Amino acid sequence: MIQPLTDEKPYTLTPGSDGVIETQTLEVSIGPQHPSTHGVFRMDCVLDGETVVALKPVMGYLHRNHEQLAERMAWLGSMPYTDRLDYFNSMTNNWAYALAVEKLAGIKVPEHAEYVRVIMSELTRILNHSCVIGFMLQDLGAWGTPLLYAFRERERILDLFEAVSGSRMMCNYMRFGGLRVDMTEKDLAVAKDITAKFPRFLDEFEKLLSNNEVLLARTQRVGILPKELAINASISGPMARASGVEYDVRKADKYGVYGRFDFRVPIGEIGDVYDRYYIRVLEMRESIKILQQALRDIPAGPFIAPEVKLRNFKIPPGDGYGRIEAPKGELGFYLVSDEGGKQPYRYHVRPPSFVNLTTLEDMCLGHKVADVVIILGSVDIVLGEVDR
Amino acid sequence: MGFIGKGLFEGMVVTARNFVGSYFDKERMVTVQYPEERVQVPENSRTFPFLVFDEDKDPAGTMRCVACKICEVECPPQCIYIVMDRDEKGKPQQRPKVFDIDISVCMQCQICVEVCPFEAIKMDNDYEKSQYGRFDELVEHLPDLLKSNEYYNRIKPTEATAVDAKLKVEKEKKAKKAAPAVAAKPAAPAPKPVAPPAPKPAPAAAKLTIPEDAPFTPEQRQWLSGFLSAVSVAGAGPVAAPGPVAAPTGETPVQQPAEAAATTEAAPAAEAPAGGWPWHDPGMGIQQRLDLAKSAPLADKLMAAMAQTDCHACGYDCRGYADAIANGGESDLSLCLPGEAETENMLKKLMQETGKA
Repeated sequence: MIQPLTDEKPYTLTPGSDGVIETQTLEVSIGPQHPSTHGVFRMDCVLDGETVVALKPVMGYLHRNHEQLAERMAWLGSMPYTDRLDYFNSMTNNWAYALAVEKLAGIKVPEHAEYVRVIMSELTRILNHSCVIGFMLQDLGAWGTPLLYAFRERERILDLFEAVSGSRMMCNYMRFGGLRVDMTEKDLAVAKDITAKFPRFLDEFEKLLSNNEVLLARTQRVGILPKELAINASISGPMARASGVEYDVRKADKYGVYGRFDFRVPIGEIGDVYDRYYIRVLEMRESIKILQQALRDIPAGPFIAPEVKLRNFKIPPGDGYGRIEAPKGELGFYLVSDEGGKQPYRYHVRPPSFVNLTTLEDMCLGHKVADVVIILGSVDIVLGEVDR
Repeated sequence: MGFIGKGLFEGMVVTARNFVGSYFDKERMVTVQYPEERVQVPENSRTFPFLVFDEDKDPAGTMRCVACKICEVECPPQCIYIVMDRDEKGKPQQRPKVFDIDISVCMQCQICVEVCPFEAIKMDNDYEKSQYGRFDELVEHLPDLLKSNEYYNRIKPTEATAVDAKLKVEKEKKAKKAAPAVAAKPAAPAPKPVAPPAPKPAPAAAKLTIPEDAPFTPEQRQWLSGFLSAVSVAGAGPVAAPGPVAAPTGETPVQQPAEAAATTEAAPAAEAPAGGWPWHDPGMGIQQRLDLAKSAPLADKLMAAMAQTDCHACGYDCRGYADAIANGGESDLSLCLPGEAETENMLKKLMQETGKA
């Protein structure tokens, strides 16, 4: 039987002993099935009213045992699996893994292949950054418009990837010592065309967003990551640079042929969401510069080192760490080869989005729950890489 | 200069331009009305693998696949399943009886295509593979997988032309090699083929070498006997084995392979003697091949135990793998994939016999 509402506990708030209304904190679980969490990711938020007082990121919903799988198969076998780590940027994932193996096995990559790798990885950076901005705006409530503009541009790059490697997103393009297939003249012409047209889109994109009052109000001074914390938590990539950490693996390591290109590393001042947005815009402009130089200087030559065997590829015992500046930050592969050397004895991925995600609580504390969504969007995560 | 809402206003201008442009500007007209309109996929585009055959009249007879199982082993998600065809006597037929690809597991990585030494498996670009079921419907069997070379040429003209040219060169090379052997070769795999000009003094060569009571561990014994057999047949060097050594007659067919054994892996593709190794015929049964190599040195016997496809699944051709086992360079006897357990057991047996001898 339904009780009438006139019970002894009325639906009114009673003041406590000090005259202030008694309240409780509320625990809210955002995700794992929530459109704003960019995949299956959960945030356990403790809210006081609308303000976040504690936040715990919960990961592991997309765990696929990537590292253990790689230890059970030949070196080449995990190359297509690296595509599926950060599925936006399969080209850079391929490169990081190939670089680690090449370091370990002492393989020298032909110059032509190095240039093609630079071209592919900078195109990847462009497509990742433009899409991340689109997704971030989607989280802000700009439903669809910026994201679809970004997707329209990304499509051109994906078409090129498909023409070169055979697949739009799961490229599986790089091999130890070079590439699987060469880029043809026609592909290079398409890349040049993309490079030439992209700045126009970027100008338009900036006009749409950079001075938009709503965007400014929602992002400035939100989710500040202090420089010291960024360094201590080993944050990398655009997120660290937005906080003023001058660090870019392309400059620090000069892997591949990055030492030959003239480009600058943009640095943020405050480390808020707006800085993280704007750093990405600037990085795309620098990527265009690198692309122009690479496409101008690309030498002719073989696309793969001829001594590398495809099958029965063995590596003498040892360990090595190869790292690159992926669009999301420092992506590294730590590999150990032991007796026999047919497969890795240990295979470890240092994923940028996982490490960058660890400071989520520090950025969110004190902000409203609606800001949590943008702050997460500005970290730029892909769950395939976070959980592996 | 600025007024409140200027940024918003400028943004609206951009969206308006994009909206109008989506009807008139070619750069902004990007939507493709899929089932009615289709994007032409690039030549390199890949979806799932298929098997190539050469002649439309006889798809099963002219398929290039020899069931060597390299792709089955190398496939990262293990989605390929192959069973080699055998005739009623159990003789391997160098073609698959079962060739299944589970396309719900396949991740379209193209590694099977890259590792295939026979240009037999290629990537399709057909992307409309939806089915009403999740299990059997998504497993492609041999008849679904077989597609003609002409189809391959149609979907990937550049790649297929290169492959055809390569195969033609290989075929010509093979024909050239086989030409002098035609006379010596038996007309058909008769029960008792014409005996090859085998060396008469050879039988003892692989046998004697180390006395029963010599103080050696089995490994040492195995290595020594392999070494001695190679040296003794080569017929040179200070370590001449006691007993009747094969006479260096120079023209015996055994001579050259044995020399190759002595020079080890430096030349993995040892040249066949003028008549070809008589047992190097994948159509024969293993017992028949071993009979042919009965009186030959160890390396030849080992070679005769293999499947003779030269598929490189072990990392060598058949000759190279046999030599590598005989001279101790390779200790793994399980590498011959097309030969299956039959070959592995025979190799083990042969090596054991050598160890005892």
